[in-house]
Amino acid sequence: MKIKKNFILREVAGTYLVVAVGDAVKDFNKAINLNSTGAFLWKQLQVDLTEEELIGKLLEEYEIDRETAKKDILGFIQRLREANLLE
Amino acid sequence: MPKYKIADIVFSATHLFPYVKKVCKDYLYEGEEPVETELNVTMEDVEFEKSLSKLTFPDEYFESLALYRKFLEYALFHDTIILHSSALAVDGDAFLFTAPSGTGKSTHAKLYREVLKDRVTTINDDKPVVRKVNGEFFVYGTPWDGKHRLSTNSKFKIKAICALKRGEKNQINKISKKQMLLVLLNQTLRPKKEEQVDKTFSLLGELLDSVSLYELHCNISEEAVLVSYGAMSKGE
Repeated sequence: MKIKKNFILREVAGTYLVVAVGDAVKDFNKAINLNSTGAFLWKQLQVDLTEEELIGKLLEEYEIDRETAKKDILGFIQRLREANLLE
Repeated sequence: MPKYKIADIVFSATHLFPYVKKVCKDYLYEGEEPVETELNVTMEDVEFEKSLSKLTFPDEYFESLALYRKFLEYALFHDTIILHSSALAVDGDAFLFTAPSGTGKSTHAKLYREVLKDRVTTINDDKPVVRKVNGEFFVYGTPWDGKHRLSTNSKFKIKAICALKRGEKNQINKISKKQMLLVLLNQTLRPKKEEQVDKTFSLLGELLDSVSLYELHCNISEEAVLVSYGAMSKGE
């Protein structure tokens, strides 16, 4: 899975925000607020990764157990799906 | 071709309909400063505004909106953003009240005028612009001033921004930059190009660093003003 193009991640006042640019603005006019884990995962998903690969990336970055990583990632992916942000 | 000066930006504009010149009359400029840019609205721009609107208005109204959009696109790269809010000044200090439409920004501003009388200047009741000048943030009146047509062609330094919520009792407290950011994101124009997004975000970030930030729960009463102004004027 991979993030659609025309969405950008920015940090403002210590807050991670995702907004649409270009043609995507028409269908997506809100900003999504991410925590630091979310921002990390977002950056990874600029390239096509499987769920397993994404879990691996998160375990490399954060000192958490596999189960927590998987739970976090499933929650994150669900959020991306609901917002229709995955290709 | 008429010349205008809004937020200290001098521009010229040709009009499709006379209405726009009437709307902008307080901002007509006949001074010596050079024209920075031409903002000419076309019928295509009018059609674009129409396509964004859920409601039907005469074309002249959409021309006014199109000019507003063109102005903001130019002004952004001159450190200027719109904050959908009711902006007023008391004794020279500006306060911006922001909230989703229908919450009662205009009503709260009206109470300020009733209670604090001629100490209050109404800057703009709906769509003021905010500009960074030498590292400080100022709010300016614009001709786009909401259904009550309340604005003055004026400029004041911003002391505080206040997110307004309806409440049974009147209570005010400071909020974090992050909390205010999430409020303001819905109150500014969401640009299309990446460099416009970056410029908007960097201005918002700096603005949040340089003014006091509050959340006010209020009802419609004189006390609402005393609570609101009482805290914000002292910076408490």
